[in-house]
Amino acid sequence: MAATKEKPTVYALSTCPYCKRTRRFLDEHKIDYECIEVDLLDDKEQDKVLDKVEKLTGKRVFPVVIIGKEIIVGHDETKLKKAFNL
Amino acid sequence: MIGQKVERVLCPVCLAKFKYDPKWKEEDIVICPICGEKLKLAHKPDGWTGDRVDRGQDREIRERADEFARIRGYVFNDMKEEVLEGLIGKNKRFKDFFCPCRMLHVPEYQCPCKPTRAGDVDVNGKCYCGFFWRMDAVPNPVPPPPRAGR
Repeated sequence: MAATKEKPTVYALSTCPYCKRTRRFLDEHKIDYECIEVDLLDDKEQDKVLDKVEKLTGKRVFPVVIIGKEIIVGHDETKLKKAFNL
Repeated sequence: MIGQKVERVLCPVCLAKFKYDPKWKEEDIVICPICGEKLKLAHKPDGWTGDRVDRGQDREIRERADEFARIRGYVFNDMKEEVLEGLIGKNKRFKDFFCPCRMLHVPEYQCPCKPTRAGDVDVNGKCYCGFFWRMDAVPNPVPPPPRAGR
């Protein structure tokens, strides 16, 4: 059960195994989220999203999970559990 | 011997040159000691080069990674198969085995990537993608399998 009503967003790379683990974790806990696979976007959209990720996290690493005002960088189940009150 | 030219072999994967052994001959299969790729030797007008041996993408990257780990004394963890899957995904999309966790797909990020070949694992305990690990930095190390016949 998510702590926030806002739909979480996952910024991921389609080939990144850690991004897949994060998505699997959210799926297993039946958390509804939006996933943006950054590497599959067209160039213009990709630049826009990369700039946004960099602005939010200070770097361009994945996965990035946005839950309301909370930002989780990298696959971190402890932080995810805490953020979603699991 | 002073003045004697040391011949070198160009590896098309890591783009580095390694020392040619005079016992080697054309079409011999050798392992690049820098990245672990299996190469078939060819003598071209500009010197020795190694051609990648066509053996299917799964086998190529798996054998390269295992060989690189054996050469450096690194291990894997329980993410090994998932990272390999990501590398194969990169190869399907960008025609080579670039780091699956990086946005960029440039020659220096051909697995094992340049920072990894330069010793990132020794310094940080793991490579950028968490594929190669220093033995003491991973709780459940998965060693590379023993070398199979070439």
